[in-house]
Amino acid sequence: MKENSEEDFDSLFVEDKRSGVKYIVIIIVLSVLVLTAIYAYLSVSSVRDRMKLAQVQAEGSPQINSSLLTQLKEKAWLESRLKMAAGDSIGLSIDLEQHRIQLELKGVVLLSSKIRDTSISGFFRKMDGNVYFSTFGTPLTIQQFKSSIAKNPFKVVQAPKDTIAAMAAVDAAMKKDSLKDENVFWTVKLDRGFDLDIQGIDSVAEAQNKYKFGKGFEFERNLKNIASSFQHILRFTKPDYNPEILISIPENEAKAILRALPNKALVTIRI
Amino acid sequence: MIRNFFIYLAVLIVGILFFASMVLFAIPAFQESTLALTGLSSSSSGSGEVGTDKESIEADVNKLQKRLDSFTPTNAYMVVNTSDNHFFLYKGKQLIRDGVCSTGKNEKLVSAERKYEHVFYTPFGVRKVLRKATNPVWKKPDWAFIEDGMPIPSANDPSRWETGTLGAYKMEIGDGYMIHGTIYKRRMGMSVTHGCIRLLDDDLEAVYKAMEVGSKVYIY
Repeated sequence: MKENSEEDFDSLFVEDKRSGVKYIVIIIVLSVLVLTAIYAYLSVSSVRDRMKLAQVQAEGSPQINSSLLTQLKEKAWLESRLKMAAGDSIGLSIDLEQHRIQLELKGVVLLSSKIRDTSISGFFRKMDGNVYFSTFGTPLTIQQFKSSIAKNPFKVVQAPKDTIAAMAAVDAAMKKDSLKDENVFWTVKLDRGFDLDIQGIDSVAEAQNKYKFGKGFEFERNLKNIASSFQHILRFTKPDYNPEILISIPENEAKAILRALPNKALVTIRI
Repeated sequence: MIRNFFIYLAVLIVGILFFASMVLFAIPAFQESTLALTGLSSSSSGSGEVGTDKESIEADVNKLQKRLDSFTPTNAYMVVNTSDNHFFLYKGKQLIRDGVCSTGKNEKLVSAERKYEHVFYTPFGVRKVLRKATNPVWKKPDWAFIEDGMPIPSANDPSRWETGTLGAYKMEIGDGYMIHGTIYKRRMGMSVTHGCIRLLDDDLEAVYKAMEVGSKVYIY
């Protein structure tokens, strides 16, 4: 009996040449390459459009003296937080320079957490002074939340019929495991076309593998991305390019921030 | 025939995986490299120039920082984290005490027979201490009887009055919500209350002594 070899594999196509297997395989490979090339072209076009939009939005604002950019960023950061403090709602301030994320209410810091790991789109690093101030000079507003855990967990309980049923309900509640292990990952869409992703991690090493492809909420997100990319290819439309900020903080704080923020919360960012 | 089918299938799977990896990893990297090559600078046509004088900007920054700091109360105030059931007592920006607490259980109690429903949660936001009292007596509301599976007594029935349940002190923070003690110490650190903030005896005493009427309580 002959062993399998490359020669055998080639002969497989030679034998089946008439049936067209080879051509179908080539067609499939070419189709995938063409689809990928189309999607790559549309994706890069969307980046260019996003950059043009940012430039247009920044036009008309006074010229920024680039040698004083650091001081001006500090000023914009404080001004934006003051605007946030004028409201009655809990807001979020993210200082990527000092690696801190804070919950604030009327100017008072309620929770301050050290950021353990960050990753930001190159879009933010490429901003000049004018684009930066038109983007981060005032607070951004959260448009939409998506999370791996319930944002507002609430349960409906039927009142017990008598005292025996009431005592049984209390016992059952006490037995419930309150230390449920949850992967905390949430993402918000901000009003200037940015995505903010917060992941809960309890060590930096965890950040490297916990939310990679194939795990829960991230897996679902990746599948949706692939599905939507097919739609864009079929319609020949550009996908949205939303520059992204990914922040890793301790799990319990990621959960507390998610639950504390109101639906249209304000967010102040310093990069 | 079957062999051909498996060849198509294998090529198709490899193709899909290739496309997925391009969409998820390679194309975003390609987008980033586009940014690296292009840059993002605006051609500002606005009048004037911002930030010509370093000293004036620094003076502005100091002024803004002071204004922001002025929002933090100088007297004692409390911050309550309902997610972790933890409280923090501050004076100015200094943390003077922190510890475990219990907050609202986020539950709606429904009684179809009695046509009654009540929601138990600790409301987020800022509140003030409105009244303080020692050795408080608790007047049990209707939900306390419904939750225990008991008939609801009349408004001033003696069974409504309970001593000791709220601990040695209470601070009212509006809308029926209070900061008080508890006899259910085993449940501290859990979301089990009807909206009030329960503290352990020592913490309650420290908070009661530090907080005055008008002191702020920030809840999230």
